[in-house]
This record gives sequence, structure tokens and C-alpha cells, in this order.
Amino acid sequence: MSVSTEPAPSGVHTGVLAVTGWSVLSSVGVGADEFAASVQSGESRPADVSTMFEEPLPRPDAHALVDFKVRDHLGRKGTSFFDRSTALAIVTGKLAIADTDLVISDENRRRIGITLGTTAGSVRSTSDYSRETFVQSRPYLVNPLLFPNAVMNCAAGQAAIWFGLKGVNATIAGGQLAGLNVLRYGRNLISCGYADALLIGAVEEFSPHVSWATHFSMQAGGGNTATGEGAAVFVVEDAGAVRAAGRTPEAEILAAEVGSFTPTGELTALSDGLTSLIRRALTRAGVDAGDVWGVATAENGILDLDAVEDRAVVAVLGTGPERIRVKQLVGECHSVTGGFQLAYVLARHRADPALDGRVSVLTSRSSDGAVGVAVVRGYRRERGHHGE
Amino acid sequence: MTRRVVITGLGPVSSIGIGVRPFCESLRVGRNGTAPITSFDTTGFPYVMAGEVPDFDPKGLLQRLLPEEWGRTSQFAAAAARLAVEDAGISEELLEPARAGSSIGTTGGESQVLEGLTYDALSVGLGGVDTALVRQVPSSRLALAVNRELGLTGDAVTLSTACSASNYALGYAFDQIRTGEMDYMIAGGADSVGRWSHAGFYRLGALTQHACSPFDKDRSGILTGEGGAALFLESLESAQARGARIYGELLGYGLNCDAHHMVAPDPTSIAECIRLAQRNAGIEPSQVDYICAHGTGTQANDVGEARAVIEVFGEKPPPISSTKSMLGHTMGAASGFGAISSVLGIHESFLPPTINFSSIDPEIPQIDPVPNRAREAEVRVAQVHGFAFGGNNAIVILGRLT
Repeated sequence: MSVSTEPAPSGVHTGVLAVTGWSVLSSVGVGADEFAASVQSGESRPADVSTMFEEPLPRPDAHALVDFKVRDHLGRKGTSFFDRSTALAIVTGKLAIADTDLVISDENRRRIGITLGTTAGSVRSTSDYSRETFVQSRPYLVNPLLFPNAVMNCAAGQAAIWFGLKGVNATIAGGQLAGLNVLRYGRNLISCGYADALLIGAVEEFSPHVSWATHFSMQAGGGNTATGEGAAVFVVEDAGAVRAAGRTPEAEILAAEVGSFTPTGELTALSDGLTSLIRRALTRAGVDAGDVWGVATAENGILDLDAVEDRAVVAVLGTGPERIRVKQLVGECHSVTGGFQLAYVLARHRADPALDGRVSVLTSRSSDGAVGVAVVRGYRRERGHHGE
Repeated sequence: MTRRVVITGLGPVSSIGIGVRPFCESLRVGRNGTAPITSFDTTGFPYVMAGEVPDFDPKGLLQRLLPEEWGRTSQFAAAAARLAVEDAGISEELLEPARAGSSIGTTGGESQVLEGLTYDALSVGLGGVDTALVRQVPSSRLALAVNRELGLTGDAVTLSTACSASNYALGYAFDQIRTGEMDYMIAGGADSVGRWSHAGFYRLGALTQHACSPFDKDRSGILTGEGGAALFLESLESAQARGARIYGELLGYGLNCDAHHMVAPDPTSIAECIRLAQRNAGIEPSQVDYICAHGTGTQANDVGEARAVIEVFGEKPPPISSTKSMLGHTMGAASGFGAISSVLGIHESFLPPTINFSSIDPEIPQIDPVPNRAREAEVRVAQVHGFAFGGNNAIVILGRLT
């Protein structure tokens, strides 16, 4: 038997992902432009969330989209059973598609997929489903129409239906590392030829459940960052294919490396692990440490975990690059943190021509022992919005 | 760089056996692993059967992880991975410093932990629950449990693409080794039985009362199940260099999405996924000797799956059986168990059976479900199906090493 294990090669794949459009839904802005403006001003204050839910919250403020209603963005038809995660993801995906010059049609929708990161899906949807089995007069009296919402791939599956994307549809439960996981997973799908383009990103919804989980971890770790929420979606394609088509990437993901190390004691193994990953990522990207203009971290005020990142970043990159602590802007957003890190550096590239062609680094870590890094080369955006 | 990828270790933690020998014997005799539920109070539920793993002893299986620090699903994943590594016969000295990682599929992740917290919160409020349990909720911990149990420092990816997630995990691991990114990968899936999914499937009308009987004319649905399935993957050169027993080769996989309905399967899209997987694996339909079905035992799945198979293979498709008849629907672990069963069939020349079978659904007379007992047969190429909510189709192709 003659067996080829090479799936559908296209010939121009470089292993480098190009970002050709993106968007975010965050407490500091809807869409890339609003977000970029907030990044420039650097101002953010958590909103009053004390009337959002019936359940008590650990604190009255959060970086939440207090007034977000899915029907304002997508209409009422087909959206009434969306949970908050699904709604945030689809609205952001729609804005990202409007931001790219990739045209989705019946010719290519089989080759365009979706990869979304999460922590544990819509925790509220899953918990509410369990709750119904305890409080209803019969334990099976749950709403069958809401069952898919209780499963973690709901947002990605609904987004595929909404946009008619029949390519690979994946969900990665990466938690803090989700942003880096989806970059790495997406790079594999595209460089091996399983897809030509992907909407990759992550979504995290604000709920009492997530709010308390954040509170507990802040309390234990000495931090005080409020909970955030939102979604980030990036349209990614193969960089070589984009350039071969005469198009210009907005950014290139030159490397995405992840690893795991046992987080004991002073977290030295975790920090050393991240240090080695940053070195490896720079090597694979072909970039000198001195060329890095900025480092966007997952720092959130939890002292020992912040030290993990700080030690590793300083060890490899020194103190020269601008340090971007994106959670100061958008709050503790769990799985969508990495998306906001990437969005932040791309927002800077849109605003500052001096950064054209320069390189930034994204890092992340989790209390469970995961670490990761991405190397991003950003460009000045030469075109306007799609359709202009 | 493209390397051939082989499977050299198997770690089933299931209702029909923990470890490869007991699991394989159960496949051969067609053992039923379902029984009345014990992990939660079934009072008020009309149906009470599931494929639980009551004999699961995390303390006995795990060498590094402290079970009390991890949810049941992470324990399943790590224990399955430990068994797969033992079965692969690879030493710690070789494995730990290597480029090695894990990709683990799941539907509910640690939803059993979340369910417990939800119950506790009814009396003490969300602010009064055990914070140590809150830390166990993130599903990323499934793959991290595997890496930390085994001392692996590479990828730890939890793919939460519901009931086809193990096939996604196998595909990702395959690529990691094929492209030279990693040298060893653990791939598979894990899930735990819970009230929320039992209730959800019941209310969808997809749960059966007594037994899961895929492709049978009187089938009436699924039984939920649980467990951990892990496969140890490495390159062919690596396996040969260390003189490892090679169960089979992973030839390729295909993924697509219905983009049509969250719950109802789409036979046309499934047929397309089969063709994608076969093309990526470099095989023709005529080379497939066995299909390990998604085979949930619902009306919609089995007819839709059979129609897709007939569309690709014609009126005489290869035998197609469902291990869910024995295990129940183990959700994110299901296609992992399918892959373990198929690779055992390849290695030991038998077809796993569909049990609880009486007579074929007259709508799909072309289907040979390997009724009730395993069948001796040469299996050179096997095709493992996994379909899921969200239209997440994933198919893996396995082959005998040639």
C-alpha cells in the first residue's frame, strides 16, 4: 500500500500565519478602532455591575459590557437562545470578517474554519443546567433547546452556522493559555493544509460564577484585578499565500510555543520553562531580542505568577521593551486575555507608523503550570476597511 | 519533514476494563459495561442507566498527581495516559527530557466538579463554596494533568469539541509528530457522567432506558458513559529504534463542520468528512476493512451515519460496529475508545462487536454491524468516526504497519 501522509499541500505554505483582519468586543471598545483609541488613551475604569445579576457578586465593579445585547448587533432572528459567550463570539466574528479583505463565498467556505478558546465554555450555562436538575420538581425538567449551550463548543458551532463556515471547527479549553493555544493550533491547521483561512480567537463571558472564581484567585494570590469579559477574533491565513495573492498582512505570527512545568514552591520551574520558551520562540522566528519593541504579558497582580513572567521576560529581553499589562485595561479576562494581548499590539501598529515591521512578544502563564509565548511582527495597515 | 506516526501504547480506563488486556478481552466477548448509576442520586429520573467506571482507583493508578487536587475527568485523563505509557514500555529517562506533550479531548471537562459546586451554592451561595474545588473547574487541566503526571514539558492542549474531541486530539498529536514538532504525544479523551448531561439527553429524547443498541431496528437512544482513553504516539523511526511493539499506524484524519444545525447530524457533510479523511490518509474507500462507528444508537445518528457511509462506499460498505453499545456514550473519550478498539482489531485481527443487537433497521439493510460477538478478520485499514454537537465531524484513519 502506497500511503502519502501529506494532506492537501498548496505549495506556498510558509508556516507563518498572517493576520488579515481582526476585531474585539471589550469593556473599552467595540471593534478594532474603538479598542485602538482606548489603547492610545490608556484609560479604563471598571463599570458598575451591581445590578446585572440577581446573585450577589464579590465586588460591585467589573470590566464588563454592561449594556451588551445581542439583538442590537445581530437582530432578534435566531439569536434568542444564544448565551452570552455565543453572542459575544458571533458579534466579534462578524466585525472581524468586516475588517479583513478576505472574501468569504461558496467557493471557499469549505476551506474556512473557526478555532475558539475558552476556559470551561459558558460556565453559567453549564451550571444553570445542573442547577435545574436540583431545583425543578423533576430533575429532568431542563430545557432541551438550551442543552447545546451547556457544552463547550457551542460558540464555535453556532458561529459556523451563522457565517456558513464549513471548514475545521475547533474549540480549545486553554484558560489563560487559550490565546496562544489557538495561534499554535491554527498555525498547524493552515500550514498542514487543513484550512486556507480561520477565524481564531477566544471568548469569555462575565457572570457571577466567573466573578467569584476571579475573586477567589485574586484573594489567594494577593491581587486586586477586577473581572473582565469579551471576545477577540482574528482572521488568519498563510502568510506566503497572502503575499502571493498581492495582499498585505496586518501582522505575522512568527512563532507560537507552549509548554507545561510543575508549579511548585517559588515557581522557579515555571519561570525557567517560560524563559526557555521565549528563547526558542525568538530563534524559530529568526528575531534578535534587541529587535523587540514591546512585551504584552498576562500579569494581573498575583505576585508569584507575575514574577514568573517578569523574571523570564527580563532574562531574555531585558528591561528595554515596553511592558504591556493588558489586564490593567480590560480586567482579568481569563481565556480571552491572549486575544486582547494580540489586539493591543496590533492596535499600536495601526496608530504608530514608527512600529511598522517591528516585533513584539506575547507571554502567558497559568497557576496550573502552563506557559506560552508568541512572536508577532506587525505592520502599518495600508488599506482601509474592507470594502473601502 | 514528514514522519510516519505509529501507536505503541494504549491506556483505556473504561466500564469494560481498565488497562489494555481487560479492555481487549471485553471487546472480544462483547461485554456490557452499563449499569444503574451510582455517582449521583437518580431519584426522580425515569431512566437510570449509564456506563460508569465504579472500579476506577486513581490512587492506585497515578504515580505523581494527588487525586484530591484534581477533578474526576482530569484523573481519568492522567490515569489513562499513565497506562498508555506503561503499555508503550518507554522509560522515564527517555520520555521526560524529550519533546513530548498531550492533546486531550472532552465534552464536559470538569463539569462534574462544577455540578457539585452548583449544588453547594444552593445552600451557601456562590461566595461560600470550597475555593479548592473552584480551582479544579478549568478544562485546560485535563491535558495539564497528563503532562504533570508524566513529567512532560511540551504541548498540553485540551480540545473541547464535544463528542468527536478525541479524534481532534489524535489528529493534532499526529501532526505534531509527523511534522517533527514533537517526538512523543499522548492523545485521547476523558469525560465524567453527570446529572446535567443525563437530563439533557433525556429531554432531547436521545436517552434510552435499558440498553444502547446501535443500528438495531428497535434502538431508542444513547446511554451516557465516562472514562479516559489514551494512545501513545511516536514516529516510526523512534518506535523501531527502541524496539517497541507497534499496534498500528495513524495514516491521517479529516475535520469539517456541518454549519447547519447544532444537534441534528448532516449525512452529506459526514460523507464529505469521510472523503476528506481518506484523501488526507492517502487511501481509497476499497482499502477500508472496518469502520468504528460514531454509532450512538439514536434514530437520527445511525441512519444518517449509515447513509453517509453508503454514499461513500456504495451498497457493500465494510463492517461497521459501535463500541458505544458496550461503553455507553463516553462523550469526549468516545472516539478515543474507538481508536483503541480499532487499533486492537488491526493488531489482533478482529472486529469489535455491536452488542444488544437483534435485527437490522430495514432502512439501512446494507449495514453489517458485527452483531453481538467479535469476529475474526484481517483489518489492514480502519476508519474511526466521531461526530458532535455543533456539527463538529472528525474522522481518523488507522492502518496496519506495512
